[in-house]
Amino acid sequence: MSDDTDAAPSGRDGDPSPEPRPDGGHARRAPAGNSFLGDFWVNFVRWNIKAVRNPFVVVGSLLQPIIFLILFTQVFGQIATGAISGGGADITYETFLLPAIAMQVSLAGAAGSGIGLVNDMEEGLFEKVLVTPMNRAAVFLGKTAAELVRIVVQIVIILVLGTVLGAEIATGVPGAVGIVVMGVLFSLWFVALSNIIAIVTEDQESTIIGANLLQFPLLFVSTAFLPLSALPGWIQTVARFNPVTYGVDGARALMLDQDVMTVIEVTRFGGIWDTLVPAIAVLAALDLVLGGLMVYLLNRVSSSSVK
Amino acid sequence: MSDTSGSTADERRAAIAARDLGLTYADGTEAVKGVDLTVPEGEFFGFLGPNGAGKTTTIKTFATLLAPTSGSVTVNGFDVREEPRRVRETIGYMAQETSVDEELTARENVRFAAQAYGVPRSERADRIDELLDLVDLADVAGKEAGEFSGGMKKRLDVATALVHDPPLVFLDEPTTGLDPKARNDLWDYFRRINEEGTTLFLTTQYLEEADQLCERISVIRDGGIVATGSPMELKREVGGEILDIDVEGDDGVRERAAEVVSGVDVLAADAEVALSDDGVTVTAERAREHGPDLLVALRDAGITVTGFDVRAPTMDDVFLAITGGESDEGDGVTSDDDAATEREVSAE
Repeated sequence: MSDDTDAAPSGRDGDPSPEPRPDGGHARRAPAGNSFLGDFWVNFVRWNIKAVRNPFVVVGSLLQPIIFLILFTQVFGQIATGAISGGGADITYETFLLPAIAMQVSLAGAAGSGIGLVNDMEEGLFEKVLVTPMNRAAVFLGKTAAELVRIVVQIVIILVLGTVLGAEIATGVPGAVGIVVMGVLFSLWFVALSNIIAIVTEDQESTIIGANLLQFPLLFVSTAFLPLSALPGWIQTVARFNPVTYGVDGARALMLDQDVMTVIEVTRFGGIWDTLVPAIAVLAALDLVLGGLMVYLLNRVSSSSVK
Repeated sequence: MSDTSGSTADERRAAIAARDLGLTYADGTEAVKGVDLTVPEGEFFGFLGPNGAGKTTTIKTFATLLAPTSGSVTVNGFDVREEPRRVRETIGYMAQETSVDEELTARENVRFAAQAYGVPRSERADRIDELLDLVDLADVAGKEAGEFSGGMKKRLDVATALVHDPPLVFLDEPTTGLDPKARNDLWDYFRRINEEGTTLFLTTQYLEEADQLCERISVIRDGGIVATGSPMELKREVGGEILDIDVEGDDGVRERAAEVVSGVDVLAADAEVALSDDGVTVTAERAREHGPDLLVALRDAGITVTGFDVRAPTMDDVFLAITGGESDEGDGVTSDDDAATEREVSAE
């Protein structure tokens, strides 16, 4: 009996060689055919709503950098000022530290990207999105754009706060905008890295721990808190290969209006461009490499696997 | 919801046509082996099987989440490998685990789905209201889904799967873990949209669910279909009548009762005697007539009978007959609402 019911439709169905094309017959409501921009926008809005709904995301990732900014300037301010004025320039530790804190904000914000992805995976929303006809690149770009907007807002908040606390942006408003742009460029490789951790572990806690735990060593073995010359030898070596150094030096050059980069000596562009050009080049290359790896892994996880 | 295709009922087109579908995971697990399946448009089709039988793998292949390793599948006339995007535009899919965004309100969840599936802007607002109404969430549309109960989230999930009015909807164990009231509500929604012409493909491990809802059922076991038919046809196949005899006492008493019953000569040779939760179950042609003899035999053996029932086979019996009494992990296969829910929950 079981054979009968199963075979009858199969036989009938096998006859017309090409399956009937569903031109209106199957789909009662013609799908509107989403545009790439439409798909992008829908996801951009979703992730923005989520960020606003969850104040912990916005405030929480700002809290730590603010604590750093206040505590570091208060505790180390006296000693550090000696170390940073070695070059003769007369700058306060607030001014020296603020660009590093801006990059710290950028890192913390970027860590949230992978956490958002792994949450979606665990709650089945990743799969739910995959089963919709939305363009998958647009889905991911919309999410990332929302995260970058958050990073921009947070860096602006930190720059305003730092200025209130006494830091001076030597290049003025255009320099401040430059620092924000540097923050976005700097965040991308860590956005990619946190997403890679999310895809590889598929576990929320691992992603949170992984992305957050990485931030501190990365910051400390860079030029974030002290100039390269004031760091021990081995840290100087590590700092040379640490992306944080390039982000911080780029932002700091804009902050101080000086060529501050000492890990690579470049002289052909003149002024702060001797810092900005190599910083941007290194970060852009890193963004491309890690971004490419992330896209590859995202493609793999969304097309084949699903446990 | 009128059918504009112009095809008559007896030449309904196939919503799903799978030919020799096979799916092997990267680790070598053959989850689905040579499944042939055709689901005509408008049918309420059930896919029944124990945990790990291949139900979810099959449904995910139909929904383009997994690519078939072998064989071919067309959904709404589109090949899942060649034109996955067209398939996605014409199906609704509700995963086994409830998946709603808890930080969005009910309305925002449905709106996101409406936009994701390209419901035209002019129809969107009406459509969202209609769906929230259908699943009785209109009153709480502005609340974040995180505040909802499990049943409410499930209903919201249903709404997001239906918002684009797809001609075919996949439901992967949609009522697992729900209390009987919530389950009955969902059943009503499913029946309603099926009556309006939507093809439904439902997987379940609850036999009663398949029995209540589905026009036609396939039973899957170890990655292959072992039986297909209407619930009535499948039940008829088991044949005979069933006697449930409850006895007082522990497992030992039940085993002894089974021995006593098996030893009664009037039972036909093909009679099957099995232990049940409360006593023994006898399946035989004309089992009804032998009831008194069995009761007398049990009394003579000093066993107290506390309950006695004669019934036609249920889907449980069908399932046990087809799958050889094997239900993986011993859970889930029962027609008793509450027990099923409880076991499902405790198994997690």
